[in-house]
Amino acid sequence: MSKAADFLVEIGTEELPPKALRNLMNAFAGGLQKALDKARLEHASVSAYASPRRLAVIVASLGFAQADQELVVKGPPVSVAYDAAGKITPAAKAFAKKCGVRPDALERLTSDKGEWLCFRSLERGQKTAELIPGLVQTALQSLPIPRRMRWGEGEAEFVRPVHWILLLHGRNVIEGSVMNVPAGRMTRGHRFHAPGEIEIDEPAKYLSLLKKAHVLADFDVRRKTIVAAVKKAAKEAGGEPVANEALYDEVTALTEWPVPLIGSFDKSFLSLPKEVIVATLASHQRYFPVADKGDNLLPRFITIANLVSKEPDRVRAGNERVIRARLADAAFFWEADKRVNLADRRDALRDVVYQRGLGSIYDKSARVARLAAAVGSQLGVETPAIERAASLAKCDLLTGMVGEFPELQGSMGRYYAAADGEPGAVAEAIGEQYLPRFAGDALPETVAGQALAIADKLDTIAGVLALGKKPSGNRDPFGLRRSALGIVRIIIEQGLDLDFTALVAATIADQPVGDKDEKDLSEGLYDFVTERMRAYYLDGQNSLTTEMFAAVMAKRPVSLLDFDARLKAVAAFVKLEPASSLAAANKRIGNILKQAGVDADISIDQSLITEPAETALFESVVKAQKAIAPLLASRDYTNVLTTLADLRDPVDGFFDHVMVMTDDAALRNNRLALLAELRAMFLNVADVSRLSISQESAH
Amino acid sequence: MKKDNPPALLTFQDLILALQQFWAERGCVIAQPYDMPMGAGTFHPATFLRAVGPEPWSAAYVQPCRRPTDGRYGDNPFRLQHYYQFQVVIKPSPEDFQDVYLESLCTIGIDPTVHDIRFVEDNWESPSLGAWGLGWEVWLNGMEITQFTYFQQLGGLECRPVTGEITYGLERLAMYLQDVENIFDIVWTDGPLGRISYRDVYHQNEVEQSRYNFELADIDSLFHAFDLAEHDCQRLIELKLALPAYEQMLVASHTFNLLDARQAMSVSERQRFILRVRDMSKSVAAAYYASREAMGFPMVESAGPPQRGASQR
Repeated sequence: MSKAADFLVEIGTEELPPKALRNLMNAFAGGLQKALDKARLEHASVSAYASPRRLAVIVASLGFAQADQELVVKGPPVSVAYDAAGKITPAAKAFAKKCGVRPDALERLTSDKGEWLCFRSLERGQKTAELIPGLVQTALQSLPIPRRMRWGEGEAEFVRPVHWILLLHGRNVIEGSVMNVPAGRMTRGHRFHAPGEIEIDEPAKYLSLLKKAHVLADFDVRRKTIVAAVKKAAKEAGGEPVANEALYDEVTALTEWPVPLIGSFDKSFLSLPKEVIVATLASHQRYFPVADKGDNLLPRFITIANLVSKEPDRVRAGNERVIRARLADAAFFWEADKRVNLADRRDALRDVVYQRGLGSIYDKSARVARLAAAVGSQLGVETPAIERAASLAKCDLLTGMVGEFPELQGSMGRYYAAADGEPGAVAEAIGEQYLPRFAGDALPETVAGQALAIADKLDTIAGVLALGKKPSGNRDPFGLRRSALGIVRIIIEQGLDLDFTALVAATIADQPVGDKDEKDLSEGLYDFVTERMRAYYLDGQNSLTTEMFAAVMAKRPVSLLDFDARLKAVAAFVKLEPASSLAAANKRIGNILKQAGVDADISIDQSLITEPAETALFESVVKAQKAIAPLLASRDYTNVLTTLADLRDPVDGFFDHVMVMTDDAALRNNRLALLAELRAMFLNVADVSRLSISQESAH
Repeated sequence: MKKDNPPALLTFQDLILALQQFWAERGCVIAQPYDMPMGAGTFHPATFLRAVGPEPWSAAYVQPCRRPTDGRYGDNPFRLQHYYQFQVVIKPSPEDFQDVYLESLCTIGIDPTVHDIRFVEDNWESPSLGAWGLGWEVWLNGMEITQFTYFQQLGGLECRPVTGEITYGLERLAMYLQDVENIFDIVWTDGPLGRISYRDVYHQNEVEQSRYNFELADIDSLFHAFDLAEHDCQRLIELKLALPAYEQMLVASHTFNLLDARQAMSVSERQRFILRVRDMSKSVAAAYYASREAMGFPMVESAGPPQRGASQR
């Protein structure tokens, strides 16, 4: 008999939540693999599968038993186990008793720390079949399920009710039950195409047998099928699908046997804003909109049915009917909303609570308007458009359309502002206020939009921090991290040179937070946003490290753009050959100065410079100071550090030949002053002493 | 109707009768609509109260629902302030609940090998009932026709065992089955005494009730009525009279909905009223549980297992 065979587990359920399905699938496979490894069960590849009614994992070549394992229990040290006469002590006897053996069965364990008594035994590896139900149960219990449910009379808890459990190792069913459901070899196919039970004789046939039963159990295969089918159908309909990755995932999670259908709606609905049609089709109905080459929507959509219908035209007609009603509803909102100007809705925002402790949405929009104006004046632009945009920015929350499609906030504001005859800059800024909404999303292009987007996010973060609800771990219910990252992206990628510290202080001062310390809150806000900057860089493809970030962070630059320039300079510096020795020297100097308790304002007395190495360093420092002054003024930090890199030889020479802590106080202080000057030059850019650069990386 | 295969017209009342017949055959108590205004079939004591505690229960019934804010003066083809739900509850939720539901669709002429039927995640939460459950909305070719929920908590109490709830949207189903695009065009009955439409039965009611809900309901009286109902609810709970106390909660809940339609509450006030209703729901659920417990949960023994075909008592 072979020692291993493929293993299949399938959890058969009622329809699982589509947005969570892929995650559940991967977490189940990952958790199971971890449990198998922890149980020392050998195996080859692990593959995950999922459809609306099942989560499955196939583990290739899973061993039939654990390897046997030698157990070593450490007892008392030999010095304690035997008395001076070499007789066994009660301590050693007690240990032997605990191990269930006679004292003479104990062995010795020696290490460089000493010698101990020990008990060695061989634990027979358990059979895989005995372990599997428990391991599967463990993996299921640690799935990331926000809310588990019970059903019927049972106490089992899962995402949705569980109907069958398939546990197959090779050709054999593993006896046992999971979540109180006895395991077997039966699965089920498509609800309507193959309603009966289906027997799986071995794991290798799982996918093909299910395919016969109209289930594509492989998520990725199903997704690819759908992507191709949607594309083909869109072409047939005369265009390209307007798709997003999340929608493909969701539709994949809603179907076991995807069948594309092309539907149509009345051309007249195309006069609605594009976003409205896309939201109606995609987020409400999970249909794929179709657009022509110029990105104009066509009156068509692709829907993925989960059925090869006997009468596909009726399925199509049904879907078209739904979309007709939905678009008619949207058209009603569009016309009705336009009857009231955005500006006339503003007062009603006083009745909408923004957050307890932070006033109404009206209050928030007033704060954002002040902050956005501050951003605008820093950028040297006229602020009336910004203030107008900010004051109208939240009014679309009260429209029927945004009530129906919350995700269209901002976009609808732009349309309604334009319809009200507001200036183009105002409408555009309103439309851009929530950008970027997600990783990789577009950034606001207009200055007013940038000002509004930064102010809105900064106010959001400031308010929540002021309430003392800083995100922790995975809990970030207000999406503050995303907002902070958005601010960072706008400032850096759009090159906005803002006095960020001033904006932070202004927004904190404007929060209704009672007697909290504004200085602490401002520092907290600065740290929170710059912390995201760290994530922004570290997630990127570039080679920035936490240490480089810390070197710049020590400066707490006022402008994030300046922060960025310093960071890039440090990254370039690290690649220079002298960097490692200069970083070390900075560290050494920092320590010397700290130990000597040197004030910042001692100055160098040139007449006290005597030794050649000291003179060489002094002259180099003076020269470098002259050279870097204009570079600093133009924030050319990279060249500042490149210039300073030339100091490596004089610095090394100084430390090799000059005694800093000499007994002569005047000489000592003068040398300390020279070192302080040197260190200050580096600190103009960043605290390079925080870098630990290995020789290899410096070359 | 479809040209290819003209089926007999299923009228609105045929639909109700077919569903009643179907669930009666599966052993459900065919309850009647509760005689008080409520926002959903879940508020019927045959659902809310019966889902509390360990006693098995199953019922099916039509419940008129009032949602004052949904009124459109009879002008909107899809929205009404008064409409019908067909409600099925079974406790404990049976293993084959989904399958039986799908069978019920076949009985009303929805063939799952023709139509694309999907269970799409939709979790239910009612702040005013202190309740939540997990389940789906059921899609028929992309249209929501049913809410399907496994109750997890009601009135703040854990549901043990779990009650399964199916809520059919009768007007939507009827519109689909009759292929009409306007609720008011639904054929209610077509018999020897003539063809009667939904319009004939309810249009005037929509127009007048919308006026009342949005324009005429007296706000001061409503606030007062809410206070009275809340007060009475508490008084009755102290007297351990869960059922009359529950009715006062229903009064308060509907009064709240009217105040909502009159836009008489600010957002934060609205939230406070919801919490007041929830407190009533919780007290009632606890009182009802206690009263059944005092009786020794009489239905735990007497009822057969709620399987298909098994009749209650």
